[in-house]
Amino acid sequence: MHEAGLCVSLVELAERHADAAGAARIVSVGVAVGDLSGVVPEALALAFPLCAAGTRADGAALRIERIAGRDFLLRDLEVE
Amino acid sequence: MCGVCGCGSDAPVAHEVVHAHRHAGHGARRLEVEASLLAHNRAHAEQLAERLAARGIDAIGLVGGPGAGKTALLEATLGRLGADAAREAVVEGDCATDYDARRVAAKGARVVQVATGSLCHLDAHLVGHALASLDLDGVRRVWIENVGNLVCPAAFPCGERRRVALVSVPEGDDKPEKYPALFAGVDLLVISKSDLLPHVDFDVARCIDGARRVSAGLPALVLSARTGEGLGAWLDWVGR
Repeated sequence: MHEAGLCVSLVELAERHADAAGAARIVSVGVAVGDLSGVVPEALALAFPLCAAGTRADGAALRIERIAGRDFLLRDLEVE
Repeated sequence: MCGVCGCGSDAPVAHEVVHAHRHAGHGARRLEVEASLLAHNRAHAEQLAERLAARGIDAIGLVGGPGAGKTALLEATLGRLGADAAREAVVEGDCATDYDARRVAAKGARVVQVATGSLCHLDAHLVGHALASLDLDGVRRVWIENVGNLVCPAAFPCGERRRVALVSVPEGDDKPEKYPALFAGVDLLVISKSDLLPHVDFDVARCIDGARRVSAGLPALVLSARTGEGLGAWLDWVGR
């Protein structure tokens, strides 16, 4: 159950990209989860709002795409 | 800025391509990122491995379930090394307590305990920071004992040059088949607590075959930290 730790990294990375783009708020976060990544999408969905609270991604939607392989990717952000 | 990894700095994460474009019709913009969160740890791990190698320090990771005998094997190894144990450094990962660090320190190694809290694995970032608190002058090898867990450590290399998976005889011979990801990423299978083989139904060949199904040709050792059986071959693999 390391999704909480990964979620913290995910939010940090998302915030960094939002900052670099001069965005005030992250509306949604798109991730891709590999079937062999050891990341459980359901646990990720549970952890994300908690990790995002109080950040620029507070209240952001999490879009999860399941892919083949071992990787876990931050695909894209919707910001405003 | 952190001297270990640069965290806290504005240094960008490697291998990211970002380009933004506005979508017509609403205020939100889409930022394409395509950054691997696991690659971030992998990059840390590679940097740590290189830093250790540059100092001539070997690094061996130990993974396995709780109670697989990881700390006992370390204790036995340090015991065999005698005075040279002082040239071994150990990073101990557990959710709580410094019990393992005390056991290993009692054998003469330099040790740092990482209490991971609710985190289920060590990662290269944690290990790098932990090692920064140790004096590595004269150290010839770093041991990284992961949190007891057959699932999560598989996704997080910790900077070790070689990784060892332990399966203890009471755990059962089917563990490599049940947790293939962990055994796919190791350099040696150790079947531990071999002194208990007469008392349990454990098929050594089945366990080894299970691991080799995901890691072709994986070397395997059968040993007992308690009786010393197999420790000679283990120390040969480790490099005395």
